[in-house]
Amino acid sequence: MPIHALRRMPVLAAAAAVILFGLPPAAFAGAGNPNLSVIAQPRLVVSGNPDDPARNRPVWDVGETEIMLDDYLNPYVRGNVVFSYAQDGGLGLEEGYVDVVRGLPGTLNLRMGKWRSGFGKLNPQHPHAQPFAERFGVLSAFLPGAESLNETGLQASVRLPSPGDIALTASADWLQGDSFRRERASSGLASDPLGIVSGNGDRATEPRPAVLGRLSAFAPLGDRSGLELGLSAAEGTNNVAAGTHTRVVGFDAKAKLWRSEQSYVVLQAEALKLRREDAGWDGAGYTSAEVAPWGWYAFGDWALDPRWDLGASYERWQQDTRDPGWNRATGLFAGFALMEETTALRLDWRHEQPAALPGVDEPSATDTVTLRVIWSMGPHKAHQF
Amino acid sequence: MRILQRYLRAAATFTGLAITLFTAATATAGGDRLRVVASINDLASIASTVGGDRVEVAAIARPGSDVHRVEVLPSYMVRVARADVYLKVGLALDAWADQIIDGSRNTKVTVVDCSRTITPLDKPTGRVDGRAGDVHPDGNPHYWLDPRNGALVALELAEAFGKLDPAHAADFSARATAFGDECRAHHAAAATKLAALPVREILTYHPSWVYLAASTGLTVAATVEPVPGIPPTGTHLQNLVELVNARHLAVLLQEPYFPGDAADFLARQSGLRTVKMSPSCDDVAAGSYLAHFDAVVGAIAAP
Repeated sequence: MPIHALRRMPVLAAAAAVILFGLPPAAFAGAGNPNLSVIAQPRLVVSGNPDDPARNRPVWDVGETEIMLDDYLNPYVRGNVVFSYAQDGGLGLEEGYVDVVRGLPGTLNLRMGKWRSGFGKLNPQHPHAQPFAERFGVLSAFLPGAESLNETGLQASVRLPSPGDIALTASADWLQGDSFRRERASSGLASDPLGIVSGNGDRATEPRPAVLGRLSAFAPLGDRSGLELGLSAAEGTNNVAAGTHTRVVGFDAKAKLWRSEQSYVVLQAEALKLRREDAGWDGAGYTSAEVAPWGWYAFGDWALDPRWDLGASYERWQQDTRDPGWNRATGLFAGFALMEETTALRLDWRHEQPAALPGVDEPSATDTVTLRVIWSMGPHKAHQF
Repeated sequence: MRILQRYLRAAATFTGLAITLFTAATATAGGDRLRVVASINDLASIASTVGGDRVEVAAIARPGSDVHRVEVLPSYMVRVARADVYLKVGLALDAWADQIIDGSRNTKVTVVDCSRTITPLDKPTGRVDGRAGDVHPDGNPHYWLDPRNGALVALELAEAFGKLDPAHAADFSARATAFGDECRAHHAAAATKLAALPVREILTYHPSWVYLAASTGLTVAATVEPVPGIPPTGTHLQNLVELVNARHLAVLLQEPYFPGDAADFLARQSGLRTVKMSPSCDDVAAGSYLAHFDAVVGAIAAP
């Protein structure tokens, strides 16, 4: 465990102690206190990745633990706060925002704060809600941000007029933009600002806003099933001094089809196109070289009944280089709820074949098996039955 | 700067769009009839009775579905966006309704918590935690299964509808009063019918039927779930077999959305008869609410 994570353990322990023992019984009645939930997902991982020091050995990991608080601030505004703890990331504020849900003209809603951006279907979801253990490679490679595209800013959204029960929603985000930053490797030339201006050679600490827009539609299929389609686009500055940008456009589709009262199938796919200007230095000034890879994922999840589900995934995404090869990954996953929504076991196998670099043999594929134990306390359940 | 200019352009577009939509929403509001959306068919049916031809009624939860677990769909929000009144069950049964109401972006909708004037049963005392299962801290929320509570709900609806449509307030009130009389008559008939049963104890799968039992003189001897929301263990089922045989219980009342294997086991081991009935009526039309109550009582009393 990293030292900084150890340092933060007392903070987490203190928070857990307050949650478990410190609240008087009246707090559980909800009078005056926000809804409080804890969701954890400790995991057992066996990875064949040759770069992993624990290769081919089962390793326990605390995974990500989330502490969630939510409630109305007043009749118009609802607040949400999510703290998360991860073994390699320490304790931090994952989300903290308010939604103005009424009182504005027409169908306008506003969100302010920090949240997992609504780019596509998976990025806004917390990992415990996903039937598979790992984030898809195409999202990790193309969306800015370490674990997700998660930014501070302001969002305006409206419900657009539509026929029947079809829901058509448009949103625009004005974001802080830090996720879009990319560190440039020094050219080694004496005139390169990275070597001259200590610590801020590319004006990397100057803020530059980013924008994100989304248009989504939901159409009911019968009285319970539905089809969702979405179009997302985000743009931000990846190097302030060079003036280079990153733009991502994505299309997503999800169908949830109920087969019976207790059983349904989810089919979901997203395709992303990245267009990024990579900054460089040629001795006379900044240069820009564009990369434009694309990729997609698709998965199906069959809920056999409220307690059992199984599914499969496939994805392909290009390397973000000038001469892109294709990465590929296949996955199988299954879930079992021990009794009801509060405790679930999720088993996942992922086979990943990295792309070959030009002129080099294709690297070895890696297999990873993950068993997650997802449990929850409070009104926010580990998953929905 | 380029990005900021784009953002400002987008913001201006959205502002214009919002104003247009607001104007359109204002223009379409205040139609001829009150548009009412209810969490469940039972409340919707009572609304149809009280509102008569002055209301247009729809419900969110599907007939025969588990009201505890309704998946919030954007299409429900669109439905509520056009509503004048939303009827909540309350007592934390339809907590999902808040998400639908918020998501509807309807700032004018009047939300009525229909549990406001009923007396809840099974209200826990002391601290509630997961050991007691999915217990509702404010009391058992299935109150509509006592028609006398249906009468109280009707009075609430008459008051709410009367505020929104004062010209017809007297009609709403008169219909609610007449419906109350009807509810009490159905309740009395049910109590008489079930009083004739040789064994007046029943088994239920989940505590959905507490109000029906209490109001008609029945006793729920035990539930198939050891605690609400937790599926039965083998030991618990074996204990139930012994209980059924010892007390000569005849009926298991079970909701259609729970699995049938426990009922099959109990039937094989003790000859228990399973009555599969939804706790909610299957239609929003006036009359559906009391017809469903009569059907449940008839199914329990059937030989």
